[in-house]
Amino acid sequence: MLLVGSLISCTSEDTTKIEATPPQDAFPSTYIPAASESFVIEHATILTGTGKQLDDSSVLVENGKIKLIGQNFFIAKDMKRYDANGKWLTPGIIDVHSHLGVYPSPGIESSQDGNEMTSPVTAEVWAEHSVWTQDPGMQLALAGGVTTFQVLPGSGNLIGGRGVTLKNVFARAVQGMKFPDAPHSLKMACGENPKRVYGNKGRLPSTRMGNVAGYRTAWIKAEAYRKKWDEYYESLGGENEKEMPSRDLQLDTLAEVLRGNILVHNHCYRAEEMLIMIDIAKEFDYKISAFHHAIESYKIADVLAKENICSAMWADWWGFKHEAFDQVRENAAMIENAKACAIIHSDSAIGIQHLNQETAKAMAAGNKNGLAIKEKDAIAWITSNAAKSLGISDKTGSIEEKKMADLVIWSHNPFSVYAKAEKVFIDGSLMYDRLDKNKQPVSDFDLGITEPEGERL
Amino acid sequence: MRNFTLRLDKSKSVFIGLLTLFSINLSAEDFLIKNATVHTVTEQGVLENSDIYVSDGFIMQVGSGLVVEGKHTVIDAKGKHVTPGLMNASTHLGLVEIGAASSTVDYQTNNESLGASFSIAPAINFLSTLIPQNRINGLTRAIVRPGGGRSIFQGQSSAIALLSDPQGLIEEDIAQYASYGVAGANISGGSRGSAYAVLDKALEEANYLRNNRSRYLAGFDWKFSQSVQDLDSLKRVLEKKIPLVISVHRSDDILQMIKLAKKHEVRLVISGASEAWKVAEEIAKANVPVIMDPILNLPGSFESLAIRLEGAAILSKAGVKLVFTGIDWQSTHNAYLVRQSAGNAVAYGMDANEALKAMTINAAEVFGIENYGQIAIGMEADLVIWDGEPLELMTNPDHVLIKGVKQPMVSRATRLRDRYWDLKNIPQKAYIR
Repeated sequence: MLLVGSLISCTSEDTTKIEATPPQDAFPSTYIPAASESFVIEHATILTGTGKQLDDSSVLVENGKIKLIGQNFFIAKDMKRYDANGKWLTPGIIDVHSHLGVYPSPGIESSQDGNEMTSPVTAEVWAEHSVWTQDPGMQLALAGGVTTFQVLPGSGNLIGGRGVTLKNVFARAVQGMKFPDAPHSLKMACGENPKRVYGNKGRLPSTRMGNVAGYRTAWIKAEAYRKKWDEYYESLGGENEKEMPSRDLQLDTLAEVLRGNILVHNHCYRAEEMLIMIDIAKEFDYKISAFHHAIESYKIADVLAKENICSAMWADWWGFKHEAFDQVRENAAMIENAKACAIIHSDSAIGIQHLNQETAKAMAAGNKNGLAIKEKDAIAWITSNAAKSLGISDKTGSIEEKKMADLVIWSHNPFSVYAKAEKVFIDGSLMYDRLDKNKQPVSDFDLGITEPEGERL
Repeated sequence: MRNFTLRLDKSKSVFIGLLTLFSINLSAEDFLIKNATVHTVTEQGVLENSDIYVSDGFIMQVGSGLVVEGKHTVIDAKGKHVTPGLMNASTHLGLVEIGAASSTVDYQTNNESLGASFSIAPAINFLSTLIPQNRINGLTRAIVRPGGGRSIFQGQSSAIALLSDPQGLIEEDIAQYASYGVAGANISGGSRGSAYAVLDKALEEANYLRNNRSRYLAGFDWKFSQSVQDLDSLKRVLEKKIPLVISVHRSDDILQMIKLAKKHEVRLVISGASEAWKVAEEIAKANVPVIMDPILNLPGSFESLAIRLEGAAILSKAGVKLVFTGIDWQSTHNAYLVRQSAGNAVAYGMDANEALKAMTINAAEVFGIENYGQIAIGMEADLVIWDGEPLELMTNPDHVLIKGVKQPMVSRATRLRDRYWDLKNIPQKAYIR
């Protein structure tokens, strides 16, 4: 079987170069949006995710896409209308750090599928192959307004494998949830976890310097592999056609990172470790999309702004490890203030249900200390900035014309503790309605689990 | 508006004389908090535009337009809300600095002879960085409890005020803890059946020992299922001097524990209580308080399948006395987030005043903590002045008073924040304290 790769460079004299094509996903998305009718959401307070708040405004949705946004536009008489008077409308919430499906509920021995802790570099594993699509946590996240989430491998390894971005829809197979054309991600981890896991096994890495040696060793191999394959592709059809190199699943993934086709999501708490990781990325010419659990981002907000690296953060978690000891509640607000990219993530099947609440706390903490961050800005932390880090901001994450109609109608200002996601649309289809039990999905697991004739909730 | 101002003349009042006997802050500053929305957590409910006079560490007057004599500091709280300082009823505050650094963890013991007799009181570190971080975010009291260990009984908890001083210890050994369900089974032979037998036998033996203590001679090898000192510790449970807090989740497991508590006539408190709402009527009827984190709704285990966000509201409406903790996975480092959990309980149907009670007076009553939990005359002045509605997420404290003493709004985290608030002149940062 031929692996079709993309070229990132070739000499200008080379007239025989092949067309660069993205590598085919061996497990392509089969997601098809549920049937959607055209509709308009009227009189909403809209947070667009692009830094704007529109009062008493409407959004017209056609064919699953946002068609128009404004206050006065013609609507066909028989068009479905949702009155959102007194309610708020935001883009669908996006969580960049979830383990739904790979550490599903209930958490039992046989379902711990998120961490392949048998070797410090396991770039060959893909989180999507562990996803149990019937994790009841997914429906709970939907009720919290989450329309898209990234499932990542755990942080036990230096390089834990590929993450996958999913639409929060019911499907029999993970392919049916895969966000169409979303790039894969690569999970990397700094600090305590990998060195603890492998140090306890008596092998490298047992120290932070061992961690760094581990990443660099992997990238050196990956660079040679990428070069060999790219030279092979370039030679195809030419006079000196090269023999096809042998394929290595682990290096396939790493080479795709080096080609820019897979985005790096790097679990990293401490400022000095983040700065080391930035230098490693420069050494091997790849880009870090986001640091996750970035407890100490506030110490290097200027660098993160300059390097255009997002920080995915908790609002207030701290202290469970030494590397999480220097948390400040103003972290996200300080990142925003430095004009760097702030994201609030969950890493929790409960937290994912309340990302709006976590964002509210993080914003308020900054404002209490003198900043003036508005809801219209902070909503980006769980919508457009999250989409940007996942490489899907051209498709979702904001209320803009032509974007996917991934939308949430909130009962109140979403930054209030009393706010509930009332209606959740994915690609213009109403996937959850708090006011209509028939529009509240339940997983296979939920059926008959607490009483034979009912559902769990 | 109702006005229940009680004008007290300090020099003449017998009441004041009694209070000063208990006061440890005789030199405390006096405060007049003015024009606040006061959440009294009493039958008075919420008082608009009201004042609170704090003297010698106690609440002396509550009402509108108070005029007080003597030296005092006025805190203008117009547009602000005041609640009692909040309490989290299930924490390891002072017993852990860094979760993954075992040298800083003191809430459990691997010593097999220490089960019910294990007391965490001597281990509490009042200089922990967690105490100021929680204090400046509105938590002024906590139950500090043991957790884990090798016995089905975890030992005894203490009540603290969040002071960075050993005087924060309010009372030690105020409740006994045990596990049932999955955790109880795991530690007692792998079955709920064995967990029940172990608990039942321990209470029976403790009762026997209590009644036959004079027959016990030092050095004589009595064959009990628990150590003699552990059984001795259960005496106070059997005498109903302290409650027995049992961690239990599945609804039918909860009923088993109610049965066990009846048999041995102990004061049961249920903790965790994922599926308690399903047996709310039975719990109310048995007059058993429930300690729970109302934000939890994940069926994380087969013993918590029916857990739901409406659970707290259902229990509260059934008349169960609720005591809140939260947020589960950060209920020590961020014990103050019990407020967010309570807000979610209200969002899902619980009465807001009942939610405040679950973070104040209910905990005081269940654990027997006196003079705390309400804004009422004679209470110790644990007060938080909030910049908005107390259960809202965007609300933060402006001022925190503990026992009448205004606390500095500083923690290690705010020091770090201030150091890096601007990123100029980094090498000089080391010299700025």
